Amino acid sequence: MNWNEFEKIFDDCELVGSKIVIKSNLSGVIDFVLKEYPYDMLKEIIASDKGDEGVELTYHLYSVDDEEDLFISITVKDEIESVTNFFKSAEADECEIYDLFGIKFIGNENLKRLYMPEGWQGHPLKKDYKETDQRLEWND
Amino acid sequence: MTNCLSLNLGPQHPSTHGVLRLLLKLDGEKILSCEPDIGYLHRGMEKMAEKMSYIQYLPLVDRIDYLAGFFYSELFCRTVENALEIELPDKVRAIRVMLLELNRISSHLLWIGAFLMDLGAVSPFFYAFREREMILRYFEKLTGQRMMYNYFVFGGVRKDIEFLEDVEEILSILPEKLDDYEKIITDNPIFIMRTKGKGILEAKTALNYAITGVNLRASGVDYDYRHNDPLYKGFDFRAVVMDGKDSWTRYKARILEIKESMNIVHQALVYLKEGGKLEQKLINPLNLKLPEGDYFQEIDAPRGTACCYIKSTGEDKPYRLKWRTGSYYSVNLLKKLLKGEYLNDAIAIAGSLDIILPEADK
Repeated sequence: MNWNEFEKIFDDCELVGSKIVIKSNLSGVIDFVLKEYPYDMLKEIIASDKGDEGVELTYHLYSVDDEEDLFISITVKDEIESVTNFFKSAEADECEIYDLFGIKFIGNENLKRLYMPEGWQGHPLKKDYKETDQRLEWND
Repeated sequence: MTNCLSLNLGPQHPSTHGVLRLLLKLDGEKILSCEPDIGYLHRGMEKMAEKMSYIQYLPLVDRIDYLAGFFYSELFCRTVENALEIELPDKVRAIRVMLLELNRISSHLLWIGAFLMDLGAVSPFFYAFREREMILRYFEKLTGQRMMYNYFVFGGVRKDIEFLEDVEEILSILPEKLDDYEKIITDNPIFIMRTKGKGILEAKTALNYAITGVNLRASGVDYDYRHNDPLYKGFDFRAVVMDGKDSWTRYKARILEIKESMNIVHQALVYLKEGGKLEQKLINPLNLKLPEGDYFQEIDAPRGTACCYIKSTGEDKPYRLKWRTGSYYSVNLLKKLLKGEYLNDAIAIAGSLDIILPEADK
């Protein structure tokens, strides 16, 4: 991955450690990366709550030929475009993030509560999550 | 226009290892669509990590995949060691590699037994468990546990390696038994009819669905993280890459991988038998705080690449901990792989992917 070339095309992006941090246009960036470089796998999407700023999503791409990892990160409030048209594996990751962080992925039609039961209040991995569900009361 | 039938496969079906529910839409015996439903074994591994100190969390990680506990222990320890910039001494590396590969053999043996049971053959299950038992006995002698070992610690291992003669015995018995399996299974016409050409997984599809590990290598893609892993530095082995793409190839690749693992165990054993003092770089786990930052580690587990990501804010607990497990993506692949197949092949195909549900559910 050639960072200088990348920087010329996309403004408002920066390199933090080994991670490219972008502010917007996720699908544009992924489209460009896939066309120019041989990345062929989206290993995972890592979500991490950053409090008031929103949730940071880190897309972990991998190229089998070059044996190279690439991290692209974007911080979102509550919704973002889905990348399922590039990688089918994103269906699984996005569903998990929807369940645990409450982020909506526009274009992914399979979003549902995955681990938590239907109708569960709140998203457990958010830092402001409080366990208020009545089904937990028997435990006290 | 025929009537469409909805069928619940699982959650208690004996062939779904763990608790997996597949919602199938059938036209006669043909599967029109498949919708996997997981989460029955969800224990909140990632949420629990945020409430525990690193050493409190360590015994829990074995339980992510109880058939390959050493791998997740190793992965978590290595991520913490990365953060503290600890480089492991050679003897610790040899101990860890030997136990990991023995664990891989036991995990693959269980799979062979369970897969053949899925196909209706009962005896191979007992044979595979007999050999697996030798390995578990050794683990029990060494660590005190048959499955949840809790043996690796940050910077080393809990105690020095012992009972190496048991490992020698395992290595002397296994090759002969593997030949027996191959005689019973590999060329068995019924087995071939049920697996050859079934569940074809093209390399491109596998990569697109983020399938890793043996399943990917059986589709002809050479991706084995062990070759880039500093833990395996100095060990001589090759990745098992086959180009058959079907269920039968995935079976054969696992048999060959057991042989390759035995080769690695042998190399580690020769090194460990020389003796030498165990030097460790143990750190005091009490009040352990990782420096602020993001830490990442990858490992080649029996069911695909496993990754651990820790975000630390300098506290004694992780701010965020994320696991990537191979089975989770294999479950997602079922949607694609089972579509258009017949119901009786569904179990054979799902079985060939080696899905373990506690790993998928975390």
